[in-house]
Amino acid sequence: MKRIAVFGYSVMSLEVIKQLNEEQYSYVFIVKNKAEALLVAEQGFDSKIIDFRNDEAIKSVGIGENIDILFCFYPTDSDNVFLTISARALDNELTIIAIVDDPESAEKLLAAGANKIIDPYEICGRKTYDMLAKPDITDVLDHTVFGRHDLHIAQIEIPKNSSLAQTKTGTLLLAGSYNLILIGVVDKVSGDTLHFVMDEKEHTLSSGDVLVVLGPASDIKAFKEEIEAVTSI
Amino acid sequence: MLTQLVFALVTFQQHSSTYKKTKRFFYHLLEDSESRLKSRFDKAMIMSVLYSVFLLIDEVDTPASNFEKIFEHLLIALFILEYLLRAWLYNDAHHIILTHHAKSLYLNRPMQWGKVAKIIIAKKIEYMLTPLAIIDLLAILPSFRSLTLFRALLIFRLFKLFRYFKSLRLFAEIIEAKRFELYTLAVFLGFLIFIGTVGIYLFEHAANGQQVRNLFDAVYWSIVTVTSVGYGDIAPQTTGGRLVAIGLILTGFGVLSFLISIIVSAVNDKMNDLRENSIYAELKGYKSFVIICGFGRVGQHIAKQLEKHKQHFIIIDNNAVNAMNARRLGYLVIHDDASKNDVLINAGIKQKASAVLCTTGDDVVNVYITLTSRYLNPSIRIISRANHPQNVNKLYQAGADNVIQPFEIAALVVAQYIGKPVAFEAILGVIREEKQFIMETLAVCAGSMIDGIPIAELNFEHRKLMLIGVVSANPTHQKHKNSYALKKQQFYFNPPPFFILQPDDLLVVLGRDIGIAYYREQLKNSRPKEPKR
Repeated sequence: MKRIAVFGYSVMSLEVIKQLNEEQYSYVFIVKNKAEALLVAEQGFDSKIIDFRNDEAIKSVGIGENIDILFCFYPTDSDNVFLTISARALDNELTIIAIVDDPESAEKLLAAGANKIIDPYEICGRKTYDMLAKPDITDVLDHTVFGRHDLHIAQIEIPKNSSLAQTKTGTLLLAGSYNLILIGVVDKVSGDTLHFVMDEKEHTLSSGDVLVVLGPASDIKAFKEEIEAVTSI
Repeated sequence: MLTQLVFALVTFQQHSSTYKKTKRFFYHLLEDSESRLKSRFDKAMIMSVLYSVFLLIDEVDTPASNFEKIFEHLLIALFILEYLLRAWLYNDAHHIILTHHAKSLYLNRPMQWGKVAKIIIAKKIEYMLTPLAIIDLLAILPSFRSLTLFRALLIFRLFKLFRYFKSLRLFAEIIEAKRFELYTLAVFLGFLIFIGTVGIYLFEHAANGQQVRNLFDAVYWSIVTVTSVGYGDIAPQTTGGRLVAIGLILTGFGVLSFLISIIVSAVNDKMNDLRENSIYAELKGYKSFVIICGFGRVGQHIAKQLEKHKQHFIIIDNNAVNAMNARRLGYLVIHDDASKNDVLINAGIKQKASAVLCTTGDDVVNVYITLTSRYLNPSIRIISRANHPQNVNKLYQAGADNVIQPFEIAALVVAQYIGKPVAFEAILGVIREEKQFIMETLAVCAGSMIDGIPIAELNFEHRKLMLIGVVSANPTHQKHKNSYALKKQQFYFNPPPFFILQPDDLLVVLGRDIGIAYYREQLKNSRPKEPKR
């Protein structure tokens, strides 16, 4: 189970917590004062009052120790930049996701060490355009992949000594055997780029490669378990 | 007998569809500012008027050729016809007769034909006295040879252009709007000229009789002086005359400044209208466009996306700063309240607009705009932004097809992103067409090459395409598993090889843009051609 620290009381932070899968993630919600803590409690969540300017205080939450993901959701960009810099100094491996109010602050947050910048207004604008331009596709994805139904997109890493190593992607046939659609493969050698399988049927898998698949959660789980269990000697 | 004839005529006008169609046609041709027909007619008339004026100028030195004479006669015939048609369109005389007839029947008294005739004539005279009708008449009169006195009025033919140029008409409206100020100025100017005339005549006529010979010379000198033109052909010689000149010059400056300020402020007031006129003209040229209500952060991003994909759009925002920002970016903007019926109607919600996007930061405003848009166009697509979750249902009730919550969507993105960043970025890239790979839907048309065939025979592997699923409302598919409910249809994920495609099914396909486009073209060509009607 991954541990998440959510800093900042906002509509966004409450929405994200609602979206998180409790089986996969546990979280700690950090607020600035008692008033915010009360508001969070009204929504049914626990929170801690901490001054994010103090390194010792953010360490006490678990940053640099057991926190895997940090959400910087303060409404002010400067607060998020400061928190990002502080957290990155404490943990180089931490995944930091920050929201941005002014688009110009995005680069500052990236420079401070954030992994992913979220601009809610940009996402909303793009989503509106997608709905307008591709209503059918957006409808399908909204009702399935993006959480409303049990259809998910997942990335599955091929473990060491897996029987799938040295297998060609064209011979995987996941659709028939596992009810999964293989979208593409991330070749560990060439970085984080996704290679779509329609073009590269002959890609030979190796351990460490990541398969990007689409399918029901139970089938994804079954496939994961199988490739983890069946390993070549 | 005459009464019966009039009633027969009036009844014909009231009930005849041909009469109504004819009148409607001429209305679209001459009066309907939204009509393309009028736009074409106006252009033809502008060319004809300009050519005829050119011919008239040419006639001063050279005698007119036969062609020119015929053209002039035809044009005058057209002017007369236009004048009469406009008088006919101005009001419905038969309505006046029928109303009075109904009144007479109700009151059980004889029809007062004299009174009715007076009302009808008064209405037509009312039309004839409108400024544009006077110009029309003055453009016709000089052409009659017997009325040589009116030749000088040929210039009015140019004024006729006011009818056909929207911007010129707007300028006339500006003058009309400032008529009180201009009237005041004219009275003051008249007073100044009168004083100047009397003064210069009294001082100069006796001492400088060669230059100021009569009262007309005095009026001429006063006007030339007060307008700061000063030809110098008449110059005051006496001290009194020079003092009058000094007084007239100084006050003339004031009058001119006042006149300019009136015109400038009026033009400034109407500048928004002028700008909007040009926007409406541009919108009319588009096949379809999107109306974005609100140019805040969300509106800006939508506009950027639409611009990137070369789709036309119009922004409506009541906020001056937002409107200015949009204008600075080169977008079409109407600075007005999008919840007003006339603003949306002018923007084309009933015509070529394909969708309305309510993106303001205020849910109350978004609900109101949504409701107004749905009322004005029951079939238009409306996507609204909800800033608070409790208002989502209200927006749906108001008529929105889709409601978007910025923070909910952003939260969904964050939740999807963590744990599978590569996969998520990949699927987003596909949806947004940022890569060569795109996800598209392909419709199964009745009789096309894929109608009624099983999935196994699609041969997508050979085409380098990937079938993600099938969207369908067809009940024959219900036996298949992996079905997910959409709004009105079902999405069949990873359909089995024996899944038989039915007409109106939608294939959700992933592949290269060129591959999908090629396959779409093949499907289109395989459709049986519709018989010509």
